[in-house]
Amino acid sequence: MRSWRRKRESTGLEAELRANRPEPSRELLYKLEARVREDGRRSRAGSFRIAFAGALAGGVLAALASVGGLAYATTGVGQAVEKATRVVHKHGVTTLHKSAARSQYSKPKAKCPKGKKRVRGTCKKVKKARGVNFRRPPFTG
Amino acid sequence: MFRVDPLANPEPLIRRVYAYVAYRIGDGPDAEDITSETFERALRYKKSYDSRKGEPVAWLIGIARRCIEGRPPNLEISSEHYETADRGDLEDDALRRIVLSGAVGRLEERDRELIALRYGADLTARQIAELHDSKTNAIEVALHRALGRLRAQMEEDDESPPAVRKSQAGR
Repeated sequence: MRSWRRKRESTGLEAELRANRPEPSRELLYKLEARVREDGRRSRAGSFRIAFAGALAGGVLAALASVGGLAYATTGVGQAVEKATRVVHKHGVTTLHKSAARSQYSKPKAKCPKGKKRVRGTCKKVKKARGVNFRRPPFTG
Repeated sequence: MFRVDPLANPEPLIRRVYAYVAYRIGDGPDAEDITSETFERALRYKKSYDSRKGEPVAWLIGIARRCIEGRPPNLEISSEHYETADRGDLEDDALRRIVLSGAVGRLEERDRELIALRYGADLTARQIAELHDSKTNAIEVALHRALGRLRAQMEEDDESPPAVRKSQAGR
């Protein structure tokens, strides 16, 4: 009856603790296992659906690419966009900013103040003319 | 990159989690509830499992610990949750199990936790150290001491009759 007490030295007690580990009831074990497996199945089915859709799309693209369908599709889309832009785009009234009439009857430009002269649209100070007979004084050494 | 399913092989995990919980709070319906709750949470947060951080069992034990800590206060652990029976009409094995369970139940919370992790959940000292955020060596020493206290408790149980033990536990 008391023979098991002898085994209670360090490792014996450890072995005893492991051997007498509390076990879950079969019902709990079955219930939890079923729950976990069901969840796993559900998530696997979801990921399988996504993978299948991805593979299908990839296959279609590969098939199209092999016969030049992708370039054809790209061109088609480009043309469609261009047409749509042309239809939707609104044209405003064209105004000419440079015409003969505009040049003739434009608003008179303001006069420059005294001593200034218009050079390329802006009034600039005019340098005094030195005269026709201006010469430097001779070098006298 | 492929994600690892931590619950791919649930049976051994259920056994280990249950053993841990039962060593912590005592064998029975409470332990079953905590184990179920642990697996429910694990299923809900399965995507948060990172295989680089540890094995699935360590992850599950972490959840179980939080479940035990989050229990309502009226479900405080007492030695009554652990098996007690009259020794007269029991076989050696059953008696051994009951004496062991009772002795574990009378240990202090920390000792019980260490024993539950090491011999219930079957974690290594290193895994326990990671869970407790301490050093492996410190855990090994603490485990050795806890085993010593458990041995002393069992020897004390052998000497005192069940009625005396019950009154001691009630105090």
